[in-house]
Amino acid sequence: MRWFRSLPPMARVCLLFLGGLALLCWIGPLCIGFDPHRPDWNALSVAPGVGGHWFGTDAIGRDVLARTLAGGRLSLTVGFLASVVALVVGLGFGASAGLAGGWAERLMLRVLDMFSALPFLLIVILLLTLFERSLWLLLVAIGGYVWIDLARVMRAESARLREMPFMLAATAAGASFGQRLRWHALPNLLPLAFVYLGLILPQAILVESFLGFLGLSVDEPSASWGTLLSEGVQELDSAPWTLLFPAGFLVATLAAFQFLGDSLRDWLDVHAVPRADAARESAAA
Amino acid sequence: MTLSLRQLEVDVGGRRLLGPLDLDLLPGQCLGVVGESGSGKSLTALSLLGLLPPGLRATGALSCDGADIALGSRAHVALRGRRLGWVPQDPLAALHPLHTVGAQLIETLRVHGQPESQARALLQRVQLSEPDAALRRYPHQFSGGQRQRIAIALALCSRPRYLIADEPTSALDARIARDVLDLIDTLRREDHLGLMLISHDLPLVGAYAECVLVLRHGEVVERGETREVFAHPQHAYTRELIEADRLPHVHVGATEVATADAEHSFGETSGASIAALPAIRLLKAAAPTQSQPLLRAEAMRMQYPRISKPALDDVSLTLHRGEGLALLGESGSGKSTLARAVLRLLRGAQGRVWLDGIELTALKGAALRAMRKRIGVVFQDPYASLDPRMRVAEIVSEPLRIHGIGDAASRLAKAGELLTAVGLEASMGARYPHQFSGGQRQRIAIARALACDPDLLVCDEAVSALDAHHRREILALLATLKRERGLALLFVTHDLAAAAAVAERIAVLEAGKIVEIGTAADVLRNPQHAHTRALLAARYL
Repeated sequence: MRWFRSLPPMARVCLLFLGGLALLCWIGPLCIGFDPHRPDWNALSVAPGVGGHWFGTDAIGRDVLARTLAGGRLSLTVGFLASVVALVVGLGFGASAGLAGGWAERLMLRVLDMFSALPFLLIVILLLTLFERSLWLLLVAIGGYVWIDLARVMRAESARLREMPFMLAATAAGASFGQRLRWHALPNLLPLAFVYLGLILPQAILVESFLGFLGLSVDEPSASWGTLLSEGVQELDSAPWTLLFPAGFLVATLAAFQFLGDSLRDWLDVHAVPRADAARESAAA
Repeated sequence: MTLSLRQLEVDVGGRRLLGPLDLDLLPGQCLGVVGESGSGKSLTALSLLGLLPPGLRATGALSCDGADIALGSRAHVALRGRRLGWVPQDPLAALHPLHTVGAQLIETLRVHGQPESQARALLQRVQLSEPDAALRRYPHQFSGGQRQRIAIALALCSRPRYLIADEPTSALDARIARDVLDLIDTLRREDHLGLMLISHDLPLVGAYAECVLVLRHGEVVERGETREVFAHPQHAYTRELIEADRLPHVHVGATEVATADAEHSFGETSGASIAALPAIRLLKAAAPTQSQPLLRAEAMRMQYPRISKPALDDVSLTLHRGEGLALLGESGSGKSTLARAVLRLLRGAQGRVWLDGIELTALKGAALRAMRKRIGVVFQDPYASLDPRMRVAEIVSEPLRIHGIGDAASRLAKAGELLTAVGLEASMGARYPHQFSGGQRQRIAIARALACDPDLLVCDEAVSALDAHHRREILALLATLKRERGLALLFVTHDLAAAAAVAERIAVLEAGKIVEIGTAADVLRNPQHAHTRALLAARYL
């Protein structure tokens, strides 16, 4: 755990928070006595704290805490899997394009431009309405959205590596494209890809919630943060807690990722280190 | 009237990096500070300027023209850029890329309360051609030598009394470096400046400085008047620095290949290993052989896009087994382009290349990759040419793995043998590249190049990034390997002494053409072409 202790305090707090949240969403529903899907006709729209419902219940008497945690489990899982899909595709595509150089790189960049130019939401809505909705389709849709930026970053870094003397040395020794990709490009890109994973994860979670809000994610009675928000909006007048609790979880999660990203970027960026002598000078002046 | 520093010590977290060191800078005098990288010469300059990086602490007594100044105080900050001028090592990094030269000069003049009209006069003083046009141009539109002149003009804006030049010419070709140093020297005499000239190159400093200070591992190993130090160097390290750059004139004709007997000591360079290093001697040219050449390149041409002049203009060369050929030239002469074109590592190069009768330029894909095991390549930068995420044993045995030779265990054993052959220890294979010094890394790169027992070794400026000591060691190693393994060597360099140490023949390139080719002795003793004579004349000893 030395790497963890070497992180800045903000990053540690955020990581602990996100880890705890993930654990809570996975284990929590087992520990609380309420089934997220079963209505309790004796407790419709109960306010938080009444009858053991800490977060209250919704219009048909389902426990909001249980549903928020179950929704979080789905949102986080979908977000994570979609990010991993995007990471694998984006890393593979970007690394190959950058390493190849020449016309192949230009062609692959145009492909990326094409993907960027597609109206994403329209495509996703078309896909999700035309085909039978499934978790896989959702993963492909979200992954297909977030991989493009990742592929661009990986392409740029891979093109830099292509010009490095150690890559030239490998070429001069007779290494094939695949060997250079597996032995030199991917191992050197992985750290950056993992840092980038922290950036695309919240993006994927947000996109999932967005689709869920539009009713394009999972179907009733399953819940994600997005579908909970859309249900909550409809009960805003009678039972605002059905909106506020899932929204609070979503916002806290995204904020934690944001702070984590910021603090890691400052930590990794040597130029951001405060210059002691510059401080001394400004004090003197 | 002096700038003097007494008992300067620099430490970081209780560990001493430099000192104790005393120095005096007199107006009109040039003091040379010499040492290899990490010897503390730049720290000395930064301490004087009060620009040490955070975490480093300097103690000592500074006095300027009779006034005592506490290090790091406001008075010290006030010295910088006013009485103390600074000439940077890398003028491209020191000049603002988005402002014209004129704007930067005028801004600096204004800060120091000088009339803006001075800008043009300053550019004239540093002998920049067309000063009016230069004022309107941006730093990237100038050559390295011109940029250094602009940086000097900036340093002169405040009419400094003392000038600190930190490796002012290490990024420049020898001829241009000499011009820039001549300029600094002229300015020193005219303005009666106290000049501190910092360099890793003792012979260069010796040509200008009245006094020298030799630093090693943060300590002064030798100091005194230049003439005295050169005539009677007291320390073995100083002797080595003086020897490092001397051309092998005196040894021409020696039949014994002395470089082959070098001891390859590893690790901390002790005094003994320095003394054991032999003088560089010219290799005796072999009798011309009738057999077919190992490497033949014909009509090599290369044109980079958007550049009108060709990088290579109809160049041909041959190289026999066991022979060394040096491609000598300044930056931009096309020597590295030629080597890469011959290696088929350059897209867009034209011409035909044969290795051992097989035409490389006709091969593609797997057939070309298979031929690559017969050629080893060593690149200039010992830091970037090793993959930082691989262990040294993996790096060294990578060519074997590429060509599917042996299994993991036999490759590991071979890596150990190779490391031993280049003067390292087999057990070092378990470490990562960052744990080694520049010279050691270059040994690792050589070991990798030798992994498949090649016939030809191509070295692209393989010793240029190394300091004098490691340069000699690597040259001796290359000469030994060449002799023992019967390697043909294509050695790309800008350094005459390095070329002479490993190559029987030298080809001098200028503007993409071979302007002179002959045995090393002929080229050095009796240069035919004006460019070769200019290269020889640019040397200091």
